[in-house]
Amino acid sequence: MYDFTIIGAGIVGSLIARELSKYDLKVCVLEKENDVANVQTRANSAIVHSGHDPKHGTLKARLSVEGNKLYEDLEKELHISLLRTGAFVCAKDKDEVNDMKKLYENALLNQVKDMEFLSIEEARVLEPNLNPSIKKVLSLPTTKVCFPWEVAFFALENAIKNGVELHRNALVTEITHTNHMFTIKTKDNQTYQTKHVINAAGVYTDEIATLINPNIPYQIKPRKGEYYVLDKSVKGYMEHVIYPMPSKKGKGVLITPQVHGNILLGPTSEWVSDKDDISTSLKGLHYIKEHIKDMAINVPYHLIIRQFAGVRSTSTYEDFYIQEDDAVKGFYHVAGVDSPGITAAPAIAKYLVDEVIKLSLPVKHTFNPILQKKIVYKDLSKQEKDELHQDKPLYGRIICKCEDITEQEIIDAIHGPLGSDTIKGVKKRARAGSGLCQGGYCESLVLRIIARETHKPLHEVNYDQKETQILDKESKVGS
Amino acid sequence: MKQSYDITIIGAGAAGLSAALEAYDDTLDILIIEREKNFGGILNQCIHNGFGLHVFKEELTGPEYAQKLIDLVMEKQIDYLLDTTVLNISKDEVFSIKATNITSGEFIIESKSVILTTGCYERARGHVDIPGDRPKGIMTAGSAQRYLNIDGYLVGKKVFILGSGDIGLIMARRMTLEGATVLGVAELMPYSNGLTRNIVQCLNDFDIPLYLSHTIKEVVGKEKLEKVIIQQVDENRQFIENTEKTFEVDTLLLSIGLIPDVKLFESLSIDTDPLTKSALVNQKLETSVKGLYACGNALHVHDLVDDVTIESRKAGKYAKAYVINQKDIDKKQVPIRFDHHIRYVVPQVVDYHLIDEPFDVLFRATQKHDVLKLVIKQGDQVIRKKTLKYVVPAEMQKVQIKPEDLINDLPIEIMVEEV
Repeated sequence: MYDFTIIGAGIVGSLIARELSKYDLKVCVLEKENDVANVQTRANSAIVHSGHDPKHGTLKARLSVEGNKLYEDLEKELHISLLRTGAFVCAKDKDEVNDMKKLYENALLNQVKDMEFLSIEEARVLEPNLNPSIKKVLSLPTTKVCFPWEVAFFALENAIKNGVELHRNALVTEITHTNHMFTIKTKDNQTYQTKHVINAAGVYTDEIATLINPNIPYQIKPRKGEYYVLDKSVKGYMEHVIYPMPSKKGKGVLITPQVHGNILLGPTSEWVSDKDDISTSLKGLHYIKEHIKDMAINVPYHLIIRQFAGVRSTSTYEDFYIQEDDAVKGFYHVAGVDSPGITAAPAIAKYLVDEVIKLSLPVKHTFNPILQKKIVYKDLSKQEKDELHQDKPLYGRIICKCEDITEQEIIDAIHGPLGSDTIKGVKKRARAGSGLCQGGYCESLVLRIIARETHKPLHEVNYDQKETQILDKESKVGS
Repeated sequence: MKQSYDITIIGAGAAGLSAALEAYDDTLDILIIEREKNFGGILNQCIHNGFGLHVFKEELTGPEYAQKLIDLVMEKQIDYLLDTTVLNISKDEVFSIKATNITSGEFIIESKSVILTTGCYERARGHVDIPGDRPKGIMTAGSAQRYLNIDGYLVGKKVFILGSGDIGLIMARRMTLEGATVLGVAELMPYSNGLTRNIVQCLNDFDIPLYLSHTIKEVVGKEKLEKVIIQQVDENRQFIENTEKTFEVDTLLLSIGLIPDVKLFESLSIDTDPLTKSALVNQKLETSVKGLYACGNALHVHDLVDDVTIESRKAGKYAKAYVINQKDIDKKQVPIRFDHHIRYVVPQVVDYHLIDEPFDVLFRATQKHDVLKLVIKQGDQVIRKKTLKYVVPAEMQKVQIKPEDLINDLPIEIMVEEV
């Protein structure tokens, strides 16, 4: 019997798991995917917003400002990557300049610190590639960029080390509530009994919730966003996050430097009916280019190395919906977490545990908030490299030549409490295949390493989900 | 192994081996560094024939072509490091090459001259806009070639190919022979981007349709590729309505272009050519960094490995001359100019202080011409005329310039006489 079962191992579920792992509780996380942080957390702008645009008084406003600050703690404790970019909001005409004053007032009420207005000339001293026709700029120095996948991954790894259990490929199909106890059934025929349920299932929160209560006050209406990724050789083109003025459709198409040196252009914002729709479209990609024009010049489109799309779990409730269910006590909703969800995630976890669940337990003496820093070999000093290489010679062999990733780092990605035996899983953990050639060179090498490390034939190695083997079995063994 | 060399060659494919053989001299210390565990580079996975007719006067497979070069390198006992990756290069008095391998970890090698022969990489899905779902089953033709010819696996049974580059054409035949069905090849341009012989021998001979002026409208399949939808485009590359064709396939191979792999240029401030996406070189194949040479597909993408060998021999020869003479000659570089009928030229500049022998100017046309009349000028004066027949962008052309052709110090201009 678990005290808490969290449904969904995205950035929100993972940070909630870590928050609960402070206490002497039995906690488990159920994830439908074969990997953590695989849906909403994987495909977004990666911005830790300053909290300037959510309407003052909303939970979104409060938790994004608080979350922004909490990222500093995550950097110290989990050693997440954090890029202190600051941001420029750009007004392109007179109307937008007027709206920008209102945006500033709202941000002041939200207690966003250190903001200032800049003329375009002042802004262009810092960012020469801003479009000179921009009328006014609002500088937001507290804006940062994280690597959301890593935040979720490190938070959950830390939670696991503090006693939390994770079950992957565990799609919840049934929840029943009797005698103050929930029974959860999953598609892989497992049954979990738990005193409390936390529903952090992202775009599927409404479907999970209706398993236990058909009358919930929200519905998830997924919005898709498409992006371009520019190669890391673009570094220096733009060093701040560049926003247009926000509109009803959200924050608009942005220019966002990433922690690994790339730049993202996007997202679009389009309602979709299919919650798993991560397709890209010519229309969407065209829309990005059209809107980037207003903000920037000399856009290095020749450095595009990838397009992707993600879905955001926008809800009909409009604000975050973080509450205990009205009818079913012990069932908690963490729903409608769309932008600024990444920003707010650490604050959502605290708010849920401290103010909604109102857990008042002492922190267990064995709790260790510190996660040992992951080894990124290329970032180490010569002396550190030599010491590691002495012990593990495979740190000496480069596998991904674009990102300088060594064989040992790939082995580290495969093993460990949160390891993965897929090409995509290794890519997310070690970045092999994230560079200029997009895996054209290293994919076959990574596939061989996975096969060797997991004692599988080459044709059993999956690209991503189950049954997505890259190599055709019959062509080898004969049929 | 020494810590200091006269010439270091980075890459042991056709270009690296050919350059090393020509640079060889028993008074010089030469080192070859290769990241793979074997010599030969991409030739190892090119098990089809058609290599070597110009250089070795016989028709060879890729591995056979490589082996001929490897045997010669072994014979000359040139130093080499396999399974070793160069991380970056810097230059002070001499070049400092930072490399890494299992045996030594990170280490530095000094060298008076460096020849970069790091080859090229294939454009992948992300380099162009291929809209639709993001399933497994989409990969470059070269990746599929490696899986088939090195690892011994097909990547799928029902295949569609985007782009008519040579690797895609070769793979259309290769996968057919291994039992897969290739449903077609779509090419955005109104002409093929592969060699004519490959269109005939790899597509026509196997009744594989080539859809010119077609590209992918959408790929479909959540986790695994299920189908590709192609559509015809007009001369402005806009889709023409009601021309969609759907193919149910499990594999989409991309053969949409090769780009020189120039990552090692990043640590050196080097003049580059946006047209070749590689270094700008003079007629001695020397980059803007003195003593640094580039050749083979790392310089510009070649159609034939024989051409790579011919070019790389020159780089080897000039690097050797540089190390032996080491004279400080003032540069007098002028650009080679060309009109819109030409996509790019190599070399991009000519150094008039280094004119001592004839040199080739290689180029590609921007479109197909049955007859192409070239006029080569210096200022207002015509120094040469040349007529080329059946010129297509997929096939590299060359013009030789002799020292006696040059009559002044003005830039060379290659222009096309309107037909």
